[in-house]
Amino acid sequence: MVTREDVENIALLSKLFVPEEELDSLTQSMQEIINFADEINKAPASDEAFDNINNLSNVFREDEVVESYSSEEILRNAPEQAEKHFLVRNRE
Amino acid sequence: MGTISKIHEMLTSKQCSCTELTKSYLDEIEKSNGELNAYVNVTDGEALKTAEAVDKKIASGEEIGLLEGVPMTLKDNLSTKGIETTCCSKILTGYKPIYNATVWDILQSQNAVMLGKTNMDEFAMGSSCETSYFGGAANPFNTNHVSGGSSGGVASAVGANIAAYGLGSDTGGSIRQPASFCGIVGLKPTYGAVSRYGLIAYASSLDQIGPITKSVEDASIVFDAISKYDEKDSTSKGYSGDTYSSLNNDIKGMKIGIAREYLDGVRDDVKQAVLNAAEVYKSLGAEIVYFDLPALKFALPVYYIIACAEASSNLGRYDGIRYGYKTEHYNGTHDMICRTRSEGFGEEVKRRILLGTYVLSAGYYDAYYKKAQNLRGTIVKAFNDAFEHCDVILAPTVPMTAFEKGRAVSDPIETYLTDICTVPVNIAGLPGVSVPCGFNANGMPIGMQLIGKSFGEATILNAAYKYQQAAGENFKDTKWGVKL
Repeated sequence: MVTREDVENIALLSKLFVPEEELDSLTQSMQEIINFADEINKAPASDEAFDNINNLSNVFREDEVVESYSSEEILRNAPEQAEKHFLVRNRE
Repeated sequence: MGTISKIHEMLTSKQCSCTELTKSYLDEIEKSNGELNAYVNVTDGEALKTAEAVDKKIASGEEIGLLEGVPMTLKDNLSTKGIETTCCSKILTGYKPIYNATVWDILQSQNAVMLGKTNMDEFAMGSSCETSYFGGAANPFNTNHVSGGSSGGVASAVGANIAAYGLGSDTGGSIRQPASFCGIVGLKPTYGAVSRYGLIAYASSLDQIGPITKSVEDASIVFDAISKYDEKDSTSKGYSGDTYSSLNNDIKGMKIGIAREYLDGVRDDVKQAVLNAAEVYKSLGAEIVYFDLPALKFALPVYYIIACAEASSNLGRYDGIRYGYKTEHYNGTHDMICRTRSEGFGEEVKRRILLGTYVLSAGYYDAYYKKAQNLRGTIVKAFNDAFEHCDVILAPTVPMTAFEKGRAVSDPIETYLTDICTVPVNIAGLPGVSVPCGFNANGMPIGMQLIGKSFGEATILNAAYKYQQAAGENFKDTKWGVKL
């Protein structure tokens, strides 16, 4: 059962605002999707381990310094920057 | 039909210059994009510059490669250096990557002529292209119908001949489903065959990049070009060998499996078209084997749980600090990030982030995420077992044909159901190709899907190529675009 409080809580965890007037309809819509997801709990218990596709393994390499992007390039898409840094927000 | 080999022949025999060809594609985009909404960004300057370079090469008598000078497009979630890449989301408006996706590096080095970036569901979350911040793309067979999604813009452009081919991405069917809806070919490669470096992530254990093309031969040409090992993608394996040299192999004795579950709940006209294709295969000497795949019943909820969980994590990076949209008025850091995300993401994206956060949160993790991962193992094993009895699995791509615009938006679960035949392939990391196999009473295209073993691209493309040779009438040009 998905409650209004659940939705408020996961919205907070997701860093999303849900306007008060949308809370009821969103709770209902989440409930419907969770009901659908609950189908999987009708499946017989399985101990099939799943790790990853294609038997991938970690790729190790020496930690060598290689050429990368300049700070100008990295900062090029920042909405705001200050003194060659990302500006998170102005001081109040 | 404006296929890659046809264009290559036209260029090398000097029937037209690459600049003339590129201009005719750009003219057709100009004429039809208002109605089709396939492109969200036309890069005419870049396209003509590359075309000029190709013309110089041809004039100097140098040989050109198959993909050289061929006008194409990229889905707008593939990073293009210096060219806006938005994922069709407000939150990435204005974002110009400082590097290229590896697939674009490969194609650019072969002088591919990129006409522009194409429309998609926001962050590839949708099955109709209608969650795009720029509005959906239309189906070239009937513009009142959707193109499908999420790579709807690529499929609309290729179906309408305003691009010879394009690259899309497929997390739960986003290449195969729009290809099916638009009457063209779409290949979702094996997980690991194509590097995803520079593909803006949706669900990393499911995402793959692949070609959307007018013919099976073209899908093979593009796949062979892009399926290279890349150290920048830790899941990359590359593809050893090629698919092109075995396209025309005799398929006599090939075992083509049909899982009964794949035909459940499928519209009659779609089911009939797939069964007709099985008859074509029989006439080519293949053997049809029926079997059961009960694990498929859980594929869709497993997919949505895993995809949303991964999306909620991947989309955590959009905070208004390093790139993209930032809210104007706020009170403190938390408020700034929440406002940026709430204003920047569309409704479907928010819904999936919330669902993903829910299934990963304490108290629900075991019942949903962990259980879904276990079932994923069961589904992988079920496919492995199935391939003990057959070489290729034949199934519908989508249980229906392209629906009318506006229908998908009203009911999320009904929309999720359209992915029922495509998601199992992503869950198991297998290759799947959608191929046109007929039309319904209203003239809308129907697609069938050929699913292969892991790294079995050569086999499914061989089977698809033989089908196209035998049933070429199902591959049709539309009234739109460049006539070649």
